[in-house]
Amino acid sequence: MSRKAAMGGARQPVGGATTTTTTTSTISTEDMCPVCKTIRYLNKDMEFLINPECYHSMCSNCVNRLFNDGPNQCPYAGCNKTLRRKGFRSAFFGDLGVEREVDIRRRVAAVFNQGEDDFETTTDYNNYLQMVEDLTFDLVFGTDRKRQEAEATLQRWEAEHTAQIEQNRRQGREADEMARRRLRAEKDAARLRRIEAVREAEEEKRERALTREAELDSIAQAPEGQGSSRVQLKRRGLAAAAGVNSAAPVATAAATDVGKLSIRGLKEKKKAVVHEGPYDPFGGLDFTPSRYRLGPDLKHQRIEDLRATMRYNPGGFRFEDWTAQLMFEAFAGLGVFVEDEKEVGIGLEAGRVASIGAGIAAVGDRMELD
Amino acid sequence: MAAEDARYRQSSQYRLWSFSPVELATLREKSNALAKASISERMLSSNASRPASGANTPDGDATPTLPEFLTPTEEALLVTFYTSEVLRAGNHAGYRDAIKATAAVFFRRFYVTNSIMTYPPNDMVLVTLFLANKAEANFVNIGEFANKFGKKNAESILAGEFLLCQALRFAFDVKHPFRALKGAVMALRRIGGIDDKRINAAEHRAHEILCFSPLMTDAYFHYTPSQIMLAALSLADRGLVEQLIADTFHHVSPPGTSGPGTPMETGDAPPPPRRDTKSEDKATIIGAWIRDKVLGTIEACRDMLSKELPEERREHWASQDVFAAELKPLRKKLNKCRDPDRSNLLELHRRRREQARIKAETEDDDAEDRGAALADDGAVFGDAGPRDTKRRKVGKGLEDPFGGPL
Repeated sequence: MSRKAAMGGARQPVGGATTTTTTTSTISTEDMCPVCKTIRYLNKDMEFLINPECYHSMCSNCVNRLFNDGPNQCPYAGCNKTLRRKGFRSAFFGDLGVEREVDIRRRVAAVFNQGEDDFETTTDYNNYLQMVEDLTFDLVFGTDRKRQEAEATLQRWEAEHTAQIEQNRRQGREADEMARRRLRAEKDAARLRRIEAVREAEEEKRERALTREAELDSIAQAPEGQGSSRVQLKRRGLAAAAGVNSAAPVATAAATDVGKLSIRGLKEKKKAVVHEGPYDPFGGLDFTPSRYRLGPDLKHQRIEDLRATMRYNPGGFRFEDWTAQLMFEAFAGLGVFVEDEKEVGIGLEAGRVASIGAGIAAVGDRMELD
Repeated sequence: MAAEDARYRQSSQYRLWSFSPVELATLREKSNALAKASISERMLSSNASRPASGANTPDGDATPTLPEFLTPTEEALLVTFYTSEVLRAGNHAGYRDAIKATAAVFFRRFYVTNSIMTYPPNDMVLVTLFLANKAEANFVNIGEFANKFGKKNAESILAGEFLLCQALRFAFDVKHPFRALKGAVMALRRIGGIDDKRINAAEHRAHEILCFSPLMTDAYFHYTPSQIMLAALSLADRGLVEQLIADTFHHVSPPGTSGPGTPMETGDAPPPPRRDTKSEDKATIIGAWIRDKVLGTIEACRDMLSKELPEERREHWASQDVFAAELKPLRKKLNKCRDPDRSNLLELHRRRREQARIKAETEDDDAEDRGAALADDGAVFGDAGPRDTKRRKVGKGLEDPFGGPL
């Protein structure tokens, strides 16, 4: 109640309701109902209500009095809107102009509820936003004619795009729901972590007490002279280290229980898992010969000579590998035409490219000759 | 794309050191022009600064005119001559063919991006040979190596080593056609019906060619090892190569795609029309179209190799007459237009290290302390020679004795 009173203090007459300013200067309009002239002094709990039809404010007593029996005309002089009891509510903003604008904006936003994803390009989206803003401005501040036009546009749009609007609204609601759920999950996780941490701390404390007891006992029972050296054992550090180790998995388990680890404000995107296959250290190079065959029928005198040499017959040295290397070198790069490839790129032929640009080249040569 | 070609395209020889003739010519012209510009600049600046201190130097007697520089063609001729020197040095030391070939290729690659006027070819001959030994996993003692070539001091060889590595862009693996030749011979034997003696003779001759001709030409830049090998083999025995090619590119298109693409038809037929991808793949790898292209490439390579056939040319490069007629004037010219800063590799190396050291010292805040600590360490461990301490002293006094960055 006190909040509303404070807001009432900032209340000002709305355009169109100028008749209320004709009261005496000692009593401000905020403290006096413009309809029944009751002042706050007489009724401490006085509450002002408005109807979004015309935004004329009046006290709750007046509303009850005038509209309990059904729809009635607005009591303000010159305002001939028909108001209903149901439509009255207390204003959130002190400035009723702002209140009205917010209402209009809310209504427009409910109709024009497209998101950026619905558009092909950012420019399209920006244009759409501009259009909506123009329309809103016309509705809020425009002249009567403009306002009517904007109203017509709004209604037409609503009629034409009912299904889409409904769908977007549903989506928005779902997103809201999701965000809320995530927030809740986070909160739960945090709570669990806190509880876990408290439990850990207690456990550790108890452990420490226990070990201390045990230590003291053992020192007391130990023979003379041996006990004192054991006092210096730093059990505490060991226990702490063990505690950290045991606490970490618990915490992560708690986090995974309530869902994935989430960072606030991050867009949730589902990444398609691309199966890349096993890692290839050779970067896709093919090692099967395409121009020659390997086989035992490949013979060379030099290899036969070496085969007979003791030096070249240790374990791990294979003449087949050497043969394969020789054959590879004989045929590697046979189809690599350096001139073509360095000039015009792999797989193209310099001659063909040259013939295309022959005219230009010829002109260039002639110029050089000149 | 054939699997073998894809693998060859991964090699540094293809990626870094294969050029089309136009590209190679452009590169050589560019390095020639760059060398000209930088050498003339250095000569002018040294002439301007010299009269005060070294007026009595014989060649510095106020010659504002620049010497005549070598043209790219003359440079290429000199590089080829020195390549023959590399091979001769390798023969003298009795190294394997692969080592000699690697050295020659290193040498030619070095002088693609560097001008022969900038770095002295005489020194680089030994540097490339030494590095080629290491690249081919033959680890020789540098002292013995220097002795073999009558050098007392091995430092000049070591001085150029990093320079060479840089110029090679650290691509030490040279793919040679020697092993490929053995593979081709094995494939020929498998075809059958060829006289064994004929194959042996051809192999012997092709190997001889491979040890000389491709190294003296630009074949390694323009062709792949297998193409070079087949070109050499065809110089030895053309029939064998034709048989081998026919056996390799044997793909016959299925009858449905007959037409201009049938393999037995020669000429520049386009690849057979698209029918089923597998057959088409095969056609692009071992079909008629690619066969003709390979044959054309081998023919071009063969032409290139035939310009430097071993017997005639070896005598040509070794003969005194040719030397006097063609090379002596060029060498004279070269002596005149050497880079004054870089003609001495040892000096250059020393200076570069000096600079690096000075830079490192000035970069450190506590350079003084560190220097002192170093000297102390040296005294303790006894490995800091007198030369080192001396150099340190000199380095402090002289900021940059030759002025300007290298």
